[in-house]
Amino acid sequence: MIEAVFFYVFATVLVLSAIGVITARNPVHSVLFLILAFFNAAGLFVMLGAEFIAMIMVIVYVGAVAVLFLFVVMMLDINFAELRKGMMKHAPVGALVGFALLAEFTWMFKSWSPSSAALNGVAQPIPDQAAISNTHALGEILYTQYVYLFQISGLILLVAMVGAITLTLRRRPDSRRQSVAGQISRRPEDVLKVEKITSGTGVF
Amino acid sequence: MNSFTPPELITAFPEIFLAIMSLMLLMLGVAGKEEKHKTVSNFAALTLLLLAGAVYRFCHGSNLTFNDMFINDTFGAFMKVLVLIGSAVSVYMSTHYLERQRIMRFEYPVLIMFSTLGMMLMISAHDLISLYMGLELQSLPLYVLAAFQRDTVRSTEAGLKYFVLGALSSGMLLYGASLLYGYTGTTEFTHMANVLNGTGAVSLGVIVGMVLLLSGLAFKISAVPFHMWTPDVYEGAPTSVTAFFAIVPKIAALALITRVFMGPFGHIVHEWRQVIVFISVASMVLGAVAAVRQTNIKRLLAYSSIGNMGYALVGLVAASEEGVKAIMIFTAIYMVTSIGAFAVVLMMKQRDRMVENIYDLAGLGQTQPMLALAMTVMMFSMAGIPPLAGFFGKLFVFQAAINAHLYALSIIGVLTSVVAAYYYLRVIKVMYFDAASDDTLDRAEDRRLNGLLAVSALALVLFIIAPGPLLTTAQAAAQSLFAL
Amino acid sequence: MQIGMAHFLVLSAILFTLGVFGIFLNRRNVIIILMSIELILLSVTINLVTFSSYLHDLTGQVFSMFILTVAAAEAAIGLAVLVSFFRNKSSIAVEDISSLKG
Repeated sequence: MIEAVFFYVFATVLVLSAIGVITARNPVHSVLFLILAFFNAAGLFVMLGAEFIAMIMVIVYVGAVAVLFLFVVMMLDINFAELRKGMMKHAPVGALVGFALLAEFTWMFKSWSPSSAALNGVAQPIPDQAAISNTHALGEILYTQYVYLFQISGLILLVAMVGAITLTLRRRPDSRRQSVAGQISRRPEDVLKVEKITSGTGVF
Repeated sequence: MNSFTPPELITAFPEIFLAIMSLMLLMLGVAGKEEKHKTVSNFAALTLLLLAGAVYRFCHGSNLTFNDMFINDTFGAFMKVLVLIGSAVSVYMSTHYLERQRIMRFEYPVLIMFSTLGMMLMISAHDLISLYMGLELQSLPLYVLAAFQRDTVRSTEAGLKYFVLGALSSGMLLYGASLLYGYTGTTEFTHMANVLNGTGAVSLGVIVGMVLLLSGLAFKISAVPFHMWTPDVYEGAPTSVTAFFAIVPKIAALALITRVFMGPFGHIVHEWRQVIVFISVASMVLGAVAAVRQTNIKRLLAYSSIGNMGYALVGLVAASEEGVKAIMIFTAIYMVTSIGAFAVVLMMKQRDRMVENIYDLAGLGQTQPMLALAMTVMMFSMAGIPPLAGFFGKLFVFQAAINAHLYALSIIGVLTSVVAAYYYLRVIKVMYFDAASDDTLDRAEDRRLNGLLAVSALALVLFIIAPGPLLTTAQAAAQSLFAL
Repeated sequence: MQIGMAHFLVLSAILFTLGVFGIFLNRRNVIIILMSIELILLSVTINLVTFSSYLHDLTGQVFSMFILTVAAAEAAIGLAVLVSFFRNKSSIAVEDISSLKG
């Protein structure tokens, strides 16, 4: 009973904030609605027994991705009135397609049952929650069975860093930087020259 | 605690080596000065080429590793060799162009290497999760590369468009993958094949999941109806990046589609056959018809690649060993032709400014006869005119279709091929029969491009004499895919 | 009423549809498109965690964890491309994202 209450509360707020994301007039509001959606999804995940995913969702998605969106939204000076111009024109067709899609999915999911093979044996059965917490269980398989994916995700993150820097880093022409290696490797012979001068004549 | 056996790293040795080399080249590029950037590029091309040789020499037999998420078999090895050679050639071709456009930075070859690594991981994927990770590792550098000329609107818009559509297609692919996981209870391909073994009715969820998965993958090979990004992105991206797009990622995505549809879905062919027939026919027709009006050579080659992917998918529809062999032969020949065609496009400049219009090639038959001859070979091969290699590529594909009793499909294929020949022949006509204007093309003096063009033209011409090695390798590779 | 798998799946279908609809609706505003894509990825994550819970299989959760990682990387690159586009054009209206219709 109480489970149903929680589910419907989370689900309703989630759907409403998703609608808010796509229809808000102010882009900052859109991002805030997105954050609200993520929080509610995290609540749903806790209900499903996946508390590690819920926490990671909050930390990574809300803490990193949504904040990144917020930075960019604030940084770009965007004229949103102009961008909303074409919106109402496409809404009816889009809504129709959306409803059709949703109807089909709902009909499919109403009577969803996994295959018999699925119920018989799965790759990584969830150990008893009382004995091992969700995080512990995930930790046991992540660096052993799934180490390959772990390494690839590291490479993907590296590529994202390299890509973002390639596209956006600009060297400011007027900022001066120290080159510590250059300073340390300087030798006296390079910068000093001892001249023997007879008195009365100049240097040059 | 489950018993854990450490994975056999030797099976994934090429990928591990490539990853380490990419990291080292990244560090070399960061630490080095401006002049060193070209060295990074040359090193990258060399590494990729050496790896191609190593994979060819050493990767035989079928090995699963990393908890059955990674497979190394002859089919994979064949495709990986193609991908590595294609990437090495793309990096090799690009240096001169990038220097002239003043965007030569070391990140370019490094990103290409990471993308190639992603492609190799895709080809070796034996699990839905590793499929997705390989796909993303391949795609993310491509988004950046499309926008590489970051001071122009054209390039950044191409990158943005490519990114939005690519991310959307990834989302759809994932939704399909999640449905497949939900029904079969597994993400690994062999287990999935066992569950979806064709006995009993196929659940609607599986079909929806399969279609969504296919739509995500069809985007990568720019098959209709997910092809909309191709002409705009090909036109907007820097030309050497376009060359890379046209030559390599499609090979990997095609290999992946083949493995996925022959593997886990291998027993339910009747479910997906119609869908792929539709995609294939639509791609062939669009590739033939839409290119007719194009005057920008990059857009022309974009539509041509859409059409060519349609032909390759005909081999998949056949769903037989012969079909897979045909796909591989066709892909290899298509790659060589693309290399040659883009070598010519990279040479097209007037007074040191790059030009992209077909009519800028006017009169090339008189002013630079060797260049015109090489381009003619490329165009004839793409049109599928015997005795050039392109004809044999299409022959194998249509033969596989006929042997699978898909007569209508083969007829449509031949018809669209004839229609498409029009725009290839138009390029040849412009070169030989239009008068050279005053603004003729500069002499093609880049040794690298000339060399590559000569090699690919010769390969296409001489294929008829010595097709043996390619055919036997493709046969062995196709067999390995079905043996598992 | 007993909350079963179907409830969660229908919820994720609603989110997926809203994401796709959001892209249709906001064709010129690239930032909202990116956020709609995040909604689609959220729906996939809910799907996977639901299946993981009802099949008693951790694979779904592992999959969703990696999707989370990749989505973060993708968002970073997408925003970088957007910023570099904006620097050239001073606007984020992209006229031809109507190609999404196809």
